[in-house]
Amino acid sequence: METNGHWEPPYIQPHRFGAINKFGKRSVKDNVVTEVFGVSINDLVAQYGSPLFVLGEESLRANVRKIKSCFEQRYNLCAHGWSYKTNYISAVCRIMDQEGSLAEVVSNFEYEKARALGVPGARIIFNGPNKSQAILERAIAEGAFIQADHMEELRKIEAIAGKLAKKVKIGIRLNFDTGFTEPWSRFGFNLESGQAHEAVKYISRSQNIILAGLHSHIGTFVLEPRAYAQQVRIMCELMKELEGMENIEIQNLDIGGGFPSKNALQSIYLPPEQAVPKISEYADAICESLLEGCKYRKEMGKDLPRLIYESGRAMIDESEVLISSVVGTKRLPDGRRAAILDAGTNLMFTAFWYNHPVKLTREYFGIEEETVLYGPLCMNIDVVRNSIQLPALNAGDKLLIANVGAYNNTQWLQFIEYRPNVVLISESGESHVIRWAEDLSVMMAQDNVPPHLEAKGKQRKFGNSSLTVLRPAASL
Amino acid sequence: MSKNGKAWRNWNVAVTGMNASPESPGPGYAVARCLREDPEFNGRIIGIGYDVLDAGLYARNICDGGYLIPYPSAGKDALFERLKELHEAEDINVIIPCLDAEIQNFIALKDELEKLGIKMLIPSKEQFTMRAKDQLSKFCESVGVLAPESKTITNPSFFDDCESQGFEYPLMVKGIFYDAVLARNAFEAKAIMAKLVNSWGYPVLVQKLLCGDEFDLSAIGDGRRGMLGPVMMRKRALTEKGKAWAGVTVEEPGIAEVARKLIHGLSWSGPFEVEVMRTHDEKIYLIEINPRFPAWIYLSHAVNRNLPILLLKVLAGDEELDLAPAKTGTFFIRHAQELIVDLPAFESMLIDGGIASDVIGKHRTVSAV
Amino acid sequence: MQKQLAELMTTLNKNQRLSKLAISEKGFLFDPETGQSFTLNYSGMQTLNHLKRGESLEDTAKHLADEFKIPHDTALNSIEAFLIQLGRYI
Repeated sequence: METNGHWEPPYIQPHRFGAINKFGKRSVKDNVVTEVFGVSINDLVAQYGSPLFVLGEESLRANVRKIKSCFEQRYNLCAHGWSYKTNYISAVCRIMDQEGSLAEVVSNFEYEKARALGVPGARIIFNGPNKSQAILERAIAEGAFIQADHMEELRKIEAIAGKLAKKVKIGIRLNFDTGFTEPWSRFGFNLESGQAHEAVKYISRSQNIILAGLHSHIGTFVLEPRAYAQQVRIMCELMKELEGMENIEIQNLDIGGGFPSKNALQSIYLPPEQAVPKISEYADAICESLLEGCKYRKEMGKDLPRLIYESGRAMIDESEVLISSVVGTKRLPDGRRAAILDAGTNLMFTAFWYNHPVKLTREYFGIEEETVLYGPLCMNIDVVRNSIQLPALNAGDKLLIANVGAYNNTQWLQFIEYRPNVVLISESGESHVIRWAEDLSVMMAQDNVPPHLEAKGKQRKFGNSSLTVLRPAASL
Repeated sequence: MSKNGKAWRNWNVAVTGMNASPESPGPGYAVARCLREDPEFNGRIIGIGYDVLDAGLYARNICDGGYLIPYPSAGKDALFERLKELHEAEDINVIIPCLDAEIQNFIALKDELEKLGIKMLIPSKEQFTMRAKDQLSKFCESVGVLAPESKTITNPSFFDDCESQGFEYPLMVKGIFYDAVLARNAFEAKAIMAKLVNSWGYPVLVQKLLCGDEFDLSAIGDGRRGMLGPVMMRKRALTEKGKAWAGVTVEEPGIAEVARKLIHGLSWSGPFEVEVMRTHDEKIYLIEINPRFPAWIYLSHAVNRNLPILLLKVLAGDEELDLAPAKTGTFFIRHAQELIVDLPAFESMLIDGGIASDVIGKHRTVSAV
Repeated sequence: MQKQLAELMTTLNKNQRLSKLAISEKGFLFDPETGQSFTLNYSGMQTLNHLKRGESLEDTAKHLADEFKIPHDTALNSIEAFLIQLGRYI
């Protein structure tokens, strides 16, 4: 029996039959990394603290180019819309802008952010169910392409266009049943019930708005390329029908996103290497279906529509990792090992539905055992991994949690903890902070204490947290 | 003769699916029995399982050694590492995977295992996918085989007015990977759908119910559009949970023809089981194609068409497959019995995750390592 | 607390309960009275073997402290906690 002299308090674990297999959840032995994107993990933590998000610029750009070329090889006229909500850290959005992606935004804030980052209105696709009057006015004036979600929005857009005496090209969002995914029927106009046709009629009667785009989004983490083929077929059928009866020419066919990354969904039995199809399989399904559905255009000597896809997760998930440290260990009453980390679901919202890969950052000896990884929150649901085969961890050990690029830097919670630094490793291997760790001043910046609640003799000076690198005070 | 200079007779064969619970036995135990009872086979048999209660792992009269391997969800790399350890200990020549959920991992490892000198007769990823439940009716149509009308659905409201679309109750609701449950009304169907989605995700399949007799055929696809050694069986009695309790070998040319068309169309490589329904108007509908031997495969040995042995011969490139004509009228009755396991064997499985064949087997031939 | 532990030891030693437990060198434990089996970690196995031989908690702690080069108090604390766990199962 192995010990290597390492002390672990004695324990006894009763056997409960039903699923006993020493090797059942075995992880790959070669699971130790000391560098991430070419930079030492220990050095990064020494410089920027733990937890720490690390984004690889080279990896991100390479992945974006790979996916884009997949589509461009199969269909001439493609555009990628960077889904801001996936990760709208400014540096990320700048990279995507440099890579030639449009900005796909879904809220007032995201629109304003895209503009603040220098994206011209004409390179913005504006989706989402809640666009205010003011932002619509601005978006229309600046030439953004708006895809309407409901009738009230259509009326608002029409009124604004009328006031500006402008003919505004817009798209409409559709929802329908492909037979493959659960229909997202709360967004856009339903096709089967005739709402989509009603919207089209409304637009075609208007003097100020022109229907130029169809948009739909069939779901998230869609593991079946045929679902997209069916989606495109349905959209092309509608396009053909509309172009036949009204004076309409669809220029943009926007299929949304939803392509999966190599993360393991908790609800999917097979590992991602088997469950997740290659991006080329999606591109095949989509472009073949599109070319087939647009045959009629070619026959009429007309141009093909532009294909827009709004992939977020598949672009960035694998290019960002989270380094986290063990702060304590336990033996649970049922015999399982447990480790408490300094990062949990507050930073990795996606841990609620993925089993993120976890890598070790040093060699271990001794037996691997089923382990639970907990986050730092005082909430029972803060679990990073519910069951993972790991060696005995010690406080201070660092773990690397992979595939965290999508939705975490946007959905993270500001609950009891400061959010940490996010660092970019540039193509030349330099590290840059792209989002500073929060401190007390950030957390209290929006608070206002009315005079009658002021503490007596209070000091309006906030202490720094213990992080090594914080935003320089001068830039505050 | 195989590359390493040994005839198939002396090969060491690892067989998965050693679970043998009374209600739902895995096929591995039966495959191993077929190998063991062939008078010419003289190699070692290594049982592979996923749980310390997989009975075949301890069946000394059948398996020389027994080992646990990672669950399919742990992925192919973890599986490969474990298989390498088994190979070092047991010098494996052939693996016969016997469970649906693991086949894709083995497909992904085919080349790497080949480099270690381990052979498998298994389908390609494409072949495997073409027979997946949600693709099956399309494939059947392309090869001229009848399949019950089915539809993939994602929206449970389908069950409220499915009659208007020609789907009358009772109907079958199937998970995308496993499980098929009979639903008698919309209320039941929705509950079943929710449960299936929870286990296997979207979509689910709805299939019209057919009335008739259930037949199964097992054989081996040679990968060159040919079907070798078909053995046919009609289920004669089912357990409460609808599993085979008794069956009898038959010879029904129509069913063999259906299987031949399917295997030809798929260019199937490896063992398989075709489940069909023969309706009262003598039409044959395909219910499922399983990518492995069935749990009743021992019946093939009983009718002198030992399919697991045939698989070894195909892998060895043996030209003389000498298949006896399939004998009809041979019954099987499935029964449960207690396997005796002593404490050291159990401890070894639990603590070490395996029992090496030089400990329990009769052939002390471990030369590797 | 000490009284509790002493009572526990007495119970475990009654009818040679402890000495009847079968412990393998790999940490597999079988209780012939209940049919229940367990896995022990290395220090658990060492501790139980000492206790089975009738050694006191103090002596057992001394052995562990020497073997693992840890403070005597740490070892004793853990052994006492282990004994309570044992009392729940055996």
